[in-house]
Amino acid sequence: MDWLSRVFGNKIPKAVFIEEYERLFEKPIPPMRPISQLTFVLIDTETTGLDHKKDFIISFGAIKLKSYVLKIDTALEIYLQTPLKRKEAIEVHEILDTGNGMAIKEFGKQFLKYIGKDIIVGHHIGFDLLMLEKALKPFGLKKLLNPVLDTQYLAMRLEKGPQFDLSLGKPGEYVLDSLCNRYGIELDDRHTAAGDAFLTGQLLMKLLKLAEKKGIKDFGNLIR
Amino acid sequence: MANVIVNRVKEFLKRYPPFNFLSNDSLELVAKEVEVRYFSENELLFEQGDPAQQYFFVLKEGSVHLTEKKDGVEEIVEVCDEGDVFGVLALLGKRPYLLNARVQEESLIYAIPVAIFEKILNENSRVGLYFAAGFASGQVVVRTDLSQSQKARTTFKEISRDSGLLIFTGQSDLNYSSDVLTCPKGTLISKAVASMADKGVGSIVIVNQKDHPIGIITDKDLRNRLIAKNKSYETPVEELMTAPVITKKKDAAFSELYITMIKNRLHHLIFTEDGTMDSPVTGILSDHDILLSQGNSPAVLINALMNTWEINEMAKIRDRAEKLLAYYLENEVSIDFVASIISEINDIIIKRAVEMAKKKYEPDFPEISKVKFCFLSLGSEGREEQLLRTDLDNAIVFEDVAGSKLEETKAYMLLIAQQVIEILLACGFQPCPADIMANNPKYCQPLSTWKNMFSDWIHSPNQQALMNATIFFDYRAIIGNKSLADELTEHIYNEITGKSIFLNFLAKNALLNPPPLGFFRNFIVEKSGEQKDKFDIKLRAMMPLADIGRLLVLSHRVVGINNTFRRFEKLADLEPNYRDLMLEAGKAYEILMRMRAIEGLNSGNSGRYIHPEKLGKLQRQLLKNAFAPIDELQKIIQVRFQLDYFRN
Repeated sequence: MDWLSRVFGNKIPKAVFIEEYERLFEKPIPPMRPISQLTFVLIDTETTGLDHKKDFIISFGAIKLKSYVLKIDTALEIYLQTPLKRKEAIEVHEILDTGNGMAIKEFGKQFLKYIGKDIIVGHHIGFDLLMLEKALKPFGLKKLLNPVLDTQYLAMRLEKGPQFDLSLGKPGEYVLDSLCNRYGIELDDRHTAAGDAFLTGQLLMKLLKLAEKKGIKDFGNLIR
Repeated sequence: MANVIVNRVKEFLKRYPPFNFLSNDSLELVAKEVEVRYFSENELLFEQGDPAQQYFFVLKEGSVHLTEKKDGVEEIVEVCDEGDVFGVLALLGKRPYLLNARVQEESLIYAIPVAIFEKILNENSRVGLYFAAGFASGQVVVRTDLSQSQKARTTFKEISRDSGLLIFTGQSDLNYSSDVLTCPKGTLISKAVASMADKGVGSIVIVNQKDHPIGIITDKDLRNRLIAKNKSYETPVEELMTAPVITKKKDAAFSELYITMIKNRLHHLIFTEDGTMDSPVTGILSDHDILLSQGNSPAVLINALMNTWEINEMAKIRDRAEKLLAYYLENEVSIDFVASIISEINDIIIKRAVEMAKKKYEPDFPEISKVKFCFLSLGSEGREEQLLRTDLDNAIVFEDVAGSKLEETKAYMLLIAQQVIEILLACGFQPCPADIMANNPKYCQPLSTWKNMFSDWIHSPNQQALMNATIFFDYRAIIGNKSLADELTEHIYNEITGKSIFLNFLAKNALLNPPPLGFFRNFIVEKSGEQKDKFDIKLRAMMPLADIGRLLVLSHRVVGINNTFRRFEKLADLEPNYRDLMLEAGKAYEILMRMRAIEGLNSGNSGRYIHPEKLGKLQRQLLKNAFAPIDELQKIIQVRFQLDYFRN
């Protein structure tokens, strides 16, 4: 039905940087690639609120993990121009001046170039993905194509087994703070995007070692 | 980008010496380069005798014990706490680690690259003094030493100093057995042999009541003095033993031990308490132990590769092979030898990888896995010229199967190929940018398809196709059913016969990259030109030679010589008129290979781009000379294949 949408003109033309990004995925990651050879990109966003329809990304933080090593020089932190300044949210996050932030298009370019075809990891990542996809939609991105790993899901899978139902557990058992406490990661800079990405990275290192002990050793078994 | 993450690292480091001496800017520089690593209980960060890593470590959280292995027992030398810095002395002294770093409880470690810290050492004398004062158990690093080692590391000459290739390495990495098999005089040889077999050792020491050594019997003695002489197995040991024995103290200098063994043609040297025959036995050193202590000899590396199925271990060994390479290049060992050794090591890794892949997938494909296949290396690895772990080029050819089975067979072969590639990537090889690898469905084909592909290239050559196809003509069977590769080779030579148009195309291809003959003349003025200050040694010098070598060897229908410089040696015999030129071309290629490898090791990349202005005068001259035969050969080819009249 592609021609239909073209005829009716409701197809958003793809920006060059989106096309470049999509081309990266012509070759998938082979399932037998060992975890030590994978590159993970830990991401987190801070937003004006929790409604993905109305709210916007204020800041984005990320760092990469490769061969069990978090390289500080891969750390990225970007503040964005928000199309809508919601006073309340800004007061909560104490991010006052977003006027100097990066334009969405420039952010989109940098973001896609940075993540490449690495495995996106985050805590409760679904929301961040929705927000990011929304931000990139005006440039023709339909969906982020990277493999995705949620540390919340991974922790549950490792501790309780893959069939575990979150609603049966204790409330708050798998939020980032409790997990960090449980795995002995010092909490710091919570609720800054980069700070959370860094915490999640440290959590991921520990979870991956745990996974390996349980026989989850390659891409195919890790991302299911 | 000063961000939250860098700040966090900075805030942590700032609390501990020597980082508290640093200015905010320097600290930020350090923090940006930190690598955060996580280790679980009992893992080793580094091991006694390992070459120094290019990092030193700060414990972020957890607990690490520095231990020393003595007589098989691991003793704790030091306990590291949060903020402690360790792993520095090996780095500064350019020597292997003297201690193990064993993680006691799960730990986060900040690894700090030495390069960034060196910069700061130069700027900040207090940090230097801190290190000079020596913070690890009395092992003082003298300041002058420090600055010398900094300087040393910047020059290529010193890189492989700690590679363990020097004959007289420190004794710390010498492993010998302290658990010596002994027996008293009067023991029957049958009993002695039984206990040797039981312990799996090649020697037994005969001792008196006080445990002093009086003789030794080795495997060789059993052969020469027992079986060959047809003696009874009931012979007492003293009739067969070598006596008296030569003894040493176990803390004698390595050189002394080594020379004693060489002079006396000993395979085993016995350690006693005071080094004389009149004291109790404390250990035994075999020539095998000596060999192993020479960590990076090719024999040891190959032996180690043959004894592991661990990918991480294989990767480590391949890294050590690179140290060996550096040593060989520095010492001007002939490239022919170097290339053979490195190719052999690469081949073994590929063979192991294929075996591992087969083991993994055979059970799922009980029928299909019986289909014969052969794993081929192409391009530079096919020519046995790949010194650095640059692009992988390879392919799989499998025997023809019934059409109904083709799909499943191919799926299996691709699975094998994919696994092999994964292992090779883990061992530090780079993927082929043009995707000419066995895991590409295009290059994992049955024999008949391969034959057709080569026939196509030969019958209807076009310039574009040939540019990529040339590397296929350098294939070499690595493992599997080699007759498949032989059959393909035969097919190719049959096809080429009488198809001069193909050779013409190949010739044209060989002339695509004219060498920059005027290069050095132009170089002086070409500061702002297209090439800027770089020179593409692969495209402009090596490829033309490799292309010409291949073309001429194909035109003579010579089979089985893949190596470019060996091709030119062969051509020297085949074309006596041009004998000198051919030999010169072979030499030139060796020089280019050496230069590229040195450049690659120096700058940690493929070595493809050389900075001519950074070369010494002698090397520049060498490079210049290496261009001469290319030019001459290209002129010959121009005429021989009538390229002036040849239009496509």
